[in-house]
Formats: sequence, structure tokens, C-alpha cells
Amino acid sequence: MSEPSIFFSEVNRRQGDFNRRAFLLGGITGLGLAALGTRLAYLQVVEAQRYQMLASSNQFNFIMVPPPRGRILDRNGVVLASNRPNFRLTVYRDTDTDVDHVVGNLAQLVPIDPAKIPRLIKDIKRAPKKAPVPVMEDLTWEQFTRINVRAPELPGVSADMAEVRVYPYGGAFAHVIGYVAKVNDKDIKKIKDKGQQPDQLLYNPGFRIGRQGVEKAFDLELRGKAGGKKVEVDAKGRVVAEDPGGDLPPVPGDEIRLTLDVDVQRRALEVFGEESGAAVMMDCRNGDILCMVSAPAFDANGFVRGLSGPEYRALAQYERNPLLDKALSGTYPAGSTFKPTTALALLAAGVNPKERVVCTGGYHYGNRIFHCWSPRGHGGQDMHDAIKNSCDVYFYHMCNRAGIDLIHDTANKLGFQQIFDIGIPGQTRGLIPSKAWKKEAFKKAPNPDARVWHLGETLSVAIGQGAVTVNCLQLCVATARLANARKALVPRLVKSVGGKELPSGAAVPDLPIPKEHLDIVRAGMAAVANDTSGGAYRQSQLGLGDVLMAGKTGSAQSRDYKPGESRKNAGLTWSKKDHNLFIAFAPYDNPRYALAVIVQHGGISGALAAAPRAREIMRTALLKDPEIRARIEKPLPLPELDPNADVEGAAPALPADGLATPPAGPAPTPTPAPEPAAPPPGGPGR
Amino acid sequence: MTMSALSRPGERDRPLMKFLEIDWVFCLLLCLIAGAGALIMYYVAGANWQPWAAAHLVRYGIFFVAMIALSMIDLRVWFFFAYPVYLAGLILLVGVELVGDTAKGAQRWLELGPVRFQPSEIMKIGIVLALARFYHGVSAESARFSWWLLIPLIMIGAPTLLVAHQPDLGTAILIGATGVAIMVLAGLDWKLIAGGVVAILAALPPFIFFVLQDYQRKRILTFLAPEKDPSGDGYHILQSKIALGSGGFLGKGLGLGSQSQLDYLPEKHTDFIFAALSEQLGFLGSAAVLLLYAGVIFMALRIASTSHSHFGRLGAAGVTATFALYVLINGAMVMGMAPVVGVPMPLLSYGGTVMMTVMIGFGLVLATRVHRYSEVTSGRGSLL
Repeated sequence: MSEPSIFFSEVNRRQGDFNRRAFLLGGITGLGLAALGTRLAYLQVVEAQRYQMLASSNQFNFIMVPPPRGRILDRNGVVLASNRPNFRLTVYRDTDTDVDHVVGNLAQLVPIDPAKIPRLIKDIKRAPKKAPVPVMEDLTWEQFTRINVRAPELPGVSADMAEVRVYPYGGAFAHVIGYVAKVNDKDIKKIKDKGQQPDQLLYNPGFRIGRQGVEKAFDLELRGKAGGKKVEVDAKGRVVAEDPGGDLPPVPGDEIRLTLDVDVQRRALEVFGEESGAAVMMDCRNGDILCMVSAPAFDANGFVRGLSGPEYRALAQYERNPLLDKALSGTYPAGSTFKPTTALALLAAGVNPKERVVCTGGYHYGNRIFHCWSPRGHGGQDMHDAIKNSCDVYFYHMCNRAGIDLIHDTANKLGFQQIFDIGIPGQTRGLIPSKAWKKEAFKKAPNPDARVWHLGETLSVAIGQGAVTVNCLQLCVATARLANARKALVPRLVKSVGGKELPSGAAVPDLPIPKEHLDIVRAGMAAVANDTSGGAYRQSQLGLGDVLMAGKTGSAQSRDYKPGESRKNAGLTWSKKDHNLFIAFAPYDNPRYALAVIVQHGGISGALAAAPRAREIMRTALLKDPEIRARIEKPLPLPELDPNADVEGAAPALPADGLATPPAGPAPTPTPAPEPAAPPPGGPGR
Repeated sequence: MTMSALSRPGERDRPLMKFLEIDWVFCLLLCLIAGAGALIMYYVAGANWQPWAAAHLVRYGIFFVAMIALSMIDLRVWFFFAYPVYLAGLILLVGVELVGDTAKGAQRWLELGPVRFQPSEIMKIGIVLALARFYHGVSAESARFSWWLLIPLIMIGAPTLLVAHQPDLGTAILIGATGVAIMVLAGLDWKLIAGGVVAILAALPPFIFFVLQDYQRKRILTFLAPEKDPSGDGYHILQSKIALGSGGFLGKGLGLGSQSQLDYLPEKHTDFIFAALSEQLGFLGSAAVLLLYAGVIFMALRIASTSHSHFGRLGAAGVTATFALYVLINGAMVMGMAPVVGVPMPLLSYGGTVMMTVMIGFGLVLATRVHRYSEVTSGRGSLL
């Protein structure tokens, strides 16, 4: 090999070979380059749009902007639930985040409870990548800026501003409005079970879902629609630039206006004090619910924040059960507040209201004595007297003339056993017994006799005991229908959603009870409150001039009396005491507001425990009503005088809204006006 | 003035004559490619000369001068140093195997005093020189089919396997393929070529599944189905395709490439610079760059074919083959037609070692042109 072959032809052959092969390989390379060019053309010309879309989906990201939750207002526009700004601290993890280290650093900047740190680290590690986990809420401005200044040293940590739900009246509306709380796995699962895809909003760490009452029932309306902030992000997910032009503004949630009145509602909660119970007031003209209170209440703001275990247990285990909505979910025997219903049933059965029954304090029926509440007896009682005195014996005597089924039907006409569409869930039906009910309820009883309605049982039902249970709303609706005397009113809680008015509670059929019957019962109820011998005379004086209240007391036993056992409540444990009830409407001559008050285990009497509370709630509502005010503030009729005579003191007492708001613009007289001759109407109770 | 086969003796050796004989159009093409690289580096750095564009240009300038200087060196000197360079490269490769520095899990770097370099790069030139020298002294018949062919096979096989073992699959493929290309150019029998192709195709699947390192195998599997792993290995391919495709016909404009500017495109200044260029300059720009590469390759092949010596022919063509392989492999990788192997786009990509190898290679190509009439005799006495 070391000797070259220098034959000329040999050299030429090598050159020829090379040239041919070089041409060939050059051609192959050319083909390869052409293939690359074709591929380029395919990617950059044919598929360009697709890749441009992919590139911009890389480049641009939408950061979710949660919508402000709709406010909830009372009937006059007072804010019952709104949102406040909240500086919060969140941490998310990336592939290479040292979570322990970051949390350790954070703990040096803001006070994080050392006991919670391990839990927090676990939460962050468990959360999906880049999903922010809330660490702290309500940072002070100082902490907020401190974190933001140090942000470069704290990967994944961000301090931002979010909105958080706030209930300015704390517990007063806790049951009606409910509250919002963190979304949990069950919420997500419930939506998925329905075959729907959960809104991305639900995964936002600041988002809260409605849990009770209006917040829950109108959650979707209140929620609004999330917006997006368009940002340019780099490959590591860092925001490089914002593009305000591409932002999608969030759609705020609908504003919901309730029919409640903040003053009445708060007064109602206030008068309960430490007692447990419920109060519902309705406008007798249109069914608007002015107050719906369950006592004791709880601070809904605590649930927004999230309660600690002990805090929650304290609420859940308290025997007066603050978490239960007693206005809707609690059912109680109606007691004597059921007597107007029984009376209407009697009238429907043709009982002459003038017919008298002599009450001796007890009534023998079968082999049993049914006691009147007054052991001394009431003497001769017609229907009016029987309502006024709440005489049990009258109703024992008369009830089977109507019969259980007529009582049941009358009660249903008044609204008992009904569930009303007031927009929020949680109502319980209660029970008014009937023959059909008994047959159904005891159909499994071995003794066929147990399925038959016994006339003796009607006696208990007639005075609202036995199997009778009602809820406070039903009691109030029945009173409102009685007071309205024309329409079978239905209650309305939500006045408008997002500016759209909901139908009024008066747009309903007439009440199928003759007006004359209602007048008789109403007269009886007026006597309860205003006849000096009425059952709750002293407790029912509104002190608002000629604006009078009509009412009916009730005391319902919550236990069976054992033979020989004392029926007194003194010394009993709370849970065994009687329930005290009062239903009322006012003004008697032109009813405007109907009210039902239940004092759970009040243990005194309807007159003493429930009636004064009802009176206070009623006064608040009446005093807020401009027409009623005009009526009670008009001057007392003066003796006929020359109308032109300048009577001292008469002028300032012209009908005006003088008590609450002094006339706009100061009086022209420089000297203070002397006291009017007439005592100011509606002064403190007599 | 122009040099020809009939120039007076000695005339062709005058430096000025030599200088004028350099193919300046060819040089212009190289400068355009390197300039395009610097332009893209300037813009992907956010309209900044640092950290890449300036260094790239300075480096290119230095190597350009070196290339011109090398083109002045007589082919006989190249011929003389052919085997020593190859042997030195081989020894260094063995050295790497024994004491090499481990960077990114692969032994590639060797430190000699202050200098830190990759012997595999020397081998890219060494294999071309050594094979050219070998075939220079082999008859056409022997080059076609004879036992002598075992020698070039061993000459190719040894460095290829050593580099593959580092492991640096890209460079190993380059060295091996370049060597095979020279064998083909030298006149290898078609039957042997066909047999070799069949053998390689048959050996490929077992090679992939048993010989390759895990990460290499994963790259290949990812290439076959990039959608399966959009955040890991498939990410590079996908993002590169997005960058290319989103450039469209006219491109997004210099400095406006969202993929390269926002770091979605990995290695945007080195292996994937072609994608960054395509994104910003569109089909028009990237096709123009491909045409530049085609121009370089065909001019170099033409230079090779004009050489009067077999050594010059095979040397220049071998360098061209390496260069063409760089372009094709990198182009295919960037466009999602080949697995991700660390092969840059020569002259366009940032990186000194590859540029040095390529420019030394082009020094040989230019030297072949300048000394195309040189009589290169084999044997020890050939030098001067």
C-alpha cells in the first residue's frame, strides 16, 4: 500500500468515482435540505394558525378575578351582608419549592401560630402545583407590605387583596341570611354527582359558598361571574406583563333585597334576651316578612372566617341550640294560640257564637277529667269570652260539634301544615291531626283500635295540644290571614333579586272563610289584649294612642303530666318547662302587622313571657310605619274652639312626623316652643 | 493573474496569489450565517449584545482569521499531520475515558493545564484527515472491495465507540457517519453499501433497547410520541414546533418572538436557535438561512471536486459531510423530525468548540481550493 499506483487511468478512475459519488451525496443532501424546507413550509404556512394559537396560549394567561358577591339588603336598603377588603397571604408550591424553608421564612415575618405550621406545610404539599393555599387572612397593612417587599426571597408566596363576606349585624340575621364558608369536597362532589362541571371559581382559595338561608338558596345569583386578568407569563409561570386591554371584568353577583326590616329584626332578637325562641312578623296587606328571628343566634362572621373546633362545639352543644332556625325548622305545639282556629271551625260547623258553656275548671269526658287552665273555672262562656279568657272547657265542650276533620281543614286554610315558598329551605311541615292522618300513622299498630280517631283526642287538638305542632312562620301566616280577613296571604321574604321584583304575597286567592266568622274571632282576640279582663291586657298595651293590638296567648306543655304531678313550672329544668306563645296583629281596626312569638320553654305563660316581647316588636314596627305615626301623632281632639283663635301649643302639634324628625328647617320662632298642652301621644307605657 | 494548472512553477506558491485564490463568496456565505446567529442572539437576549451576540461575533472573527490562515497551508502539510492528529485525538479520547471530567453525567471534557476541551471535536477533523490520507494511497479497486477496507472500518469504529461511550450520541453519529460518507465517496462497492444499510436498520431496535443509556432511549421514544410527555422531554420538541409554526410566513418580527423571549423555547441560543430564528423571521427568513447552508455545502463539494489530489478531494468532501450532517440533524430535530440529540446548527448556534471544529474544517476546504493543483504524493517524503 505504501507504493502509490500512478497509472493514469487509475487516478482518473478514482476521480470519476469521487465525482459521481459526490454528486450523488450532494443530491441526497439537497433532498434532505428540501425536506427540511418542506417541513418548514408545512409548519409555518399550513399549520401556522394552529401554532400561533398554541403560542398565545403559552404566552397569555388569565388570572381569575373573583366577582364581588351580591349584597343583601333589607326592605329599606340597609346593608345586611356585603364584602370588605381583606389582605390575605397565600402560598403555592412549584416543582422546586422548598416548602419547609419558605414557611419557616414566612413565620419570621408574620405571626403564624407555631402549632399550625406542620398542618400548613402538609396542606401546601398536598395541594396541586401552583394552586395557592391560604395561610393567613386579615393581614395588617404593615404585614402586607412587609411580605410584598420580601417577595423575591419567598418563592410562591403572595400577599394580595381579596374580598370577604361581612355581616354588619352579626347574629341578628344569622338564620335567615345564613353565611358563607369555604368550599369543601362534598360541595364539589354534589355538583359532580349532578353530572355538571364545577365552576372554576369554586377552586379559588378566597371563594366562599353559601351555606344556609338566603346565602345558600340564592348562591348562584349572589355569586356572579368570575372575570379574568390577562397577563403575559414566561415559561416559569412568572407574570411578565399585564394586558389591561384584554381583561374580562367580573360580573358582580345580583343584589338581593329582602322584605325584612333591620330595626324590627334587631329589636326582636334583643327582646329575647337569654330566652330561646322565635318571632315572625308579616305585613298583613302583602305578606312581606318584616322579621324572622330565631334566638339565641350566632355570629355569622365567625363561620366566614371558619370556626375552631371548640368554638363550634360550644354552639352545637348548647341546649338552647343556637344553630337551629326555630322560626322555620323548629315545631312546637300551638297551645291556646290554636283556639282562634278551633273557633273558626266551630263557626263553620254552625255553632252559635252566643251559645254559652259553663266552665267549672274541668270537663269530664269519658273516664277522664280535662282541666281548664284556670282551676277555679270561668263560669258561663260564649265564644267571645272563651277566646278572651282562653277557656279550655268551652272548646272541650264544643270541639266535637265541628269534628277533627273540620278543625284540620280550617287549620290548613289558615296555613298550618303548609310549606311556603319564601325562597329559603328549612321549613318543617308541622302536624294538624285528622282521621286520615291517624289511619296512616298507625297503620302498623297491632290494635285496629289505634287507627281510629277517638273523640276524646279532639279535645286536646282543640286547645292546640296533642299531636298539634306548628312552626312559627305558620303561626304568623295564620294570624296574618285572620287579620287580613280577605286574602289567603302567603309570606314573602325576598323582595327582589338583581332588581327583579318577586310576586307579592297578596296576589293569591281569597281566604275561603266568611268574614263574619273572622270578625267574631278577631273581636275575641281584641278583647284578650284590650279588655281589662282579657288574658294579656296589661302586657298588650302598645301605648300608641288609639292604635291597639289584638292577640292571643298560648302556653303549651312540652311534657306529659303524670297523675298527681304538679303542673307548675317553677323549679323544673329548662327543657321541661312549658312553651309560651303569643300571636298578635295591630292596629286592630285596620290590621297592618301580624306577629307570632314563641318562647321555647319560657315556663311562665303566654301572657307574661311572650306577650311583652310581641308588644315591643310590634311597637318598633308600628313606629317605623309613617302612616301609623301620622295617626298616633295627630293632636288629640280638642274642644270645639274658634279655628282662627291662636291657641298656644296647638300649632306645633299639627300632624307631622314630629317625633322622629323635627320639621326640616328650624322653626322661625327664636324662643323655644313651649310644651304643647296635650301630652305627647305615644309616650312611655302607662 | 488567475491561477491555473498551467501557471509557472512557483507562481502558485506566492502568498498574494494564494490569498486571491480563496473563495470569497464562500466566505461571505459563512459570515452571513454567523451574522444571522448573532442577530438572533442579540434579540433573544432582549436586544442585548450580552451575553451571547458579542461573544459569538468576536469568536467568529477570530476563527475566521484562523480559517484564512489555515487555507494558506499547503495540502502536503495537512497530509503530513493527518495521522498524528488522528492518533492524538484517539489518545485523548482514551484519556477522557480514564480521567475525563464529568459534566452533566457524561465524560466529555479533558483538562490539560488551563485548557479544557472535548477531544471528540478534534476527532471530527482527525477522522476526515486520516481517512483522506488512507484512501489517497489506495487504488480504486481496493477502495471498492478488499480486505484493506477493514483498516478504515477500525479507524472509524474506534473513535465512534469511544465517543458513544462517553456518552455523546450526537458526536458519535457525526464521526461515524462522516467516516462512512468518506468511504462511500472513495468508491465503496454498492453491494457493501446496501448490505451495511440493511445491517444498520436491523441492528437499530436492539441497539436502542439494550445499548443506549436510559435518557437517550427516552429521548428517542419521546420523539416518536411527544404528546405523551408534554412537560418533560416532549416539551422541547413541542415548544420548538410551536415557535416555528407560530412564526408564520413573515415571522413575528425581531425581538417579538413570544416563545423565545419568554423562555418557552429551551436552549434558544444554542441547539434551538434555528427555531428562534424561524419564529422571528418566519418562513422567509428560515428558508433563506437554509439556502445559505445549501450554498455552503454545494460550494464546498464543488471545491472538493476541483482538487487534483485524492487527499484534497476526500478531505474537503469529508468536512462538507460533517457540516451537512450537522445542518440536517439539527434542522430535523428542531422541526420535530428527529429525536433531541445535542447537535447544534453550525455557525448559527452559540458555542465555541463546534465553531472551532467547523472553521478548521473550512480551513481545509479553502486550502484544498487554494492548493487544488498541488501534487500530494504519499509517503514520508511528501512534506516539503
